[in-house]
Amino acid sequence: MSDIPTASHGRNRMVEAIANGTVIDHIPAAVTLKVAALVSGPDDQVFIGQNLRSARLGRKGVVKVSGRLLTGRDLQTLALIAPGASICIIRNYEIAEKRPVGVPDLFEAIARCANPNCVTNHERWPTLFDVTHRDPLLVRCRYCERTVPAADLALLPR
Amino acid sequence: MLTAGSHVISISDFSRADLIAVLDRAAAMERNPGRPLDGRLMATLFFEPSTRTRLSFEAAMLKLGGRVIGFSDAASSSAKKGESLSDTIRMVERYADVIVMRHPRDGAARLAAQVSRVPVINGGDGANQHPTQTFLDLYTIAQEFPELRSGDRELVVAFAGDLRYGRTVHSLLHALCHFRVRVLLVAPRGLEMPADHLDHARAAGLQVEVLPDLQTAAERADVLYMTRLQEERFPDPLEFDHIKATYRISAATLAKAQPRLRILHPLPRVHEIATDVDATVHASYFTQAANGIPVRQAVLATVLGA
Repeated sequence: MSDIPTASHGRNRMVEAIANGTVIDHIPAAVTLKVAALVSGPDDQVFIGQNLRSARLGRKGVVKVSGRLLTGRDLQTLALIAPGASICIIRNYEIAEKRPVGVPDLFEAIARCANPNCVTNHERWPTLFDVTHRDPLLVRCRYCERTVPAADLALLPR
Repeated sequence: MLTAGSHVISISDFSRADLIAVLDRAAAMERNPGRPLDGRLMATLFFEPSTRTRLSFEAAMLKLGGRVIGFSDAASSSAKKGESLSDTIRMVERYADVIVMRHPRDGAARLAAQVSRVPVINGGDGANQHPTQTFLDLYTIAQEFPELRSGDRELVVAFAGDLRYGRTVHSLLHALCHFRVRVLLVAPRGLEMPADHLDHARAAGLQVEVLPDLQTAAERADVLYMTRLQEERFPDPLEFDHIKATYRISAATLAKAQPRLRILHPLPRVHEIATDVDATVHASYFTQAANGIPVRQAVLATVLGA
């Protein structure tokens, strides 16, 4: 049997259960800490499971944010760095809603354009990226018209 | 679509029908321009120097009865004092009926169009787009080869020179995707057509061939679109000298070209076309430059609703 821990062993959970809030599951292991940092504020209570066993991903991460739902900006961020993840809304320790993160048609003001000569890197102006391909995720800057892998975009601070 | 009040930002905003409509309006302008823009004012905001584009826009406006204000380099604009582009546009849109802008940053024209209530025409934004140059390139090809529009025969268009950084070749390649065209590409190593433009062209159904030498391209092509090689792209001066000699068309190298071959160049040319080509039947680059007037008259009159 593998020594990689699973998300739960019977009644003993590897990651603390939350009464109310959001669980982000099926995060690629390599970006778990990045996801946790990007979707949580300084006062949020956050539980992180790293390198858990997953049939689909091999190793995965789980992030639980207690006491709040994700914002539109959090969802866009997740769609950029972990589009295959899933989200569970937890109410009174029960899963009230479960859905995949999904990819929107447009990313708005969450990342810097990868083209150093793009006007958005020189003027105070929000960026806009249209999704041109979903797997792999490619986006096209509405301004400079460059198409780049979403992974090449630098996320803007919250 | 090009209509009254619309912005002209990127060739990717235009369908085949839109492009044909621009060519038709330009032909009408060439026959009988009139003075439909009497009393209208055009602002030329050139944050970067330009000769042909600025002069031909100004000539087009003046010939249609309009008037012109503006600046021709960023040093004489308030951008030098740190004014944002969006603030400059919000000011100028209150002075003029139409704005023509060249700017060193990619995407500057799209940003200006989002702010402006009057039409913005992109006169070149960094390495990105220069749509009216593409309109006049297409107009020149369609003048020489009616089959571009009719589709009766597959037209062979060769691009040679700096295909990596030249925005005119990228935009024209995108526009040609709407027509029955085979494209030949000849470029020095390191200056080849970027993969995303090639992928777009092939996905749109364009037949694209990469050729090893300019001579073969000149012998097979109906249109040879030459571009300038810029010395600063070559770290090794000896390599530049070698490439410069290879990417050069002269009357002698055109001896085996088809009589119908037409050579286009967005100008300025430096070494890549010998002056002895000017007197041959193949030289169309000065006609192409002259076509900037009717094409820009067509664009101005259309966006101003005249």
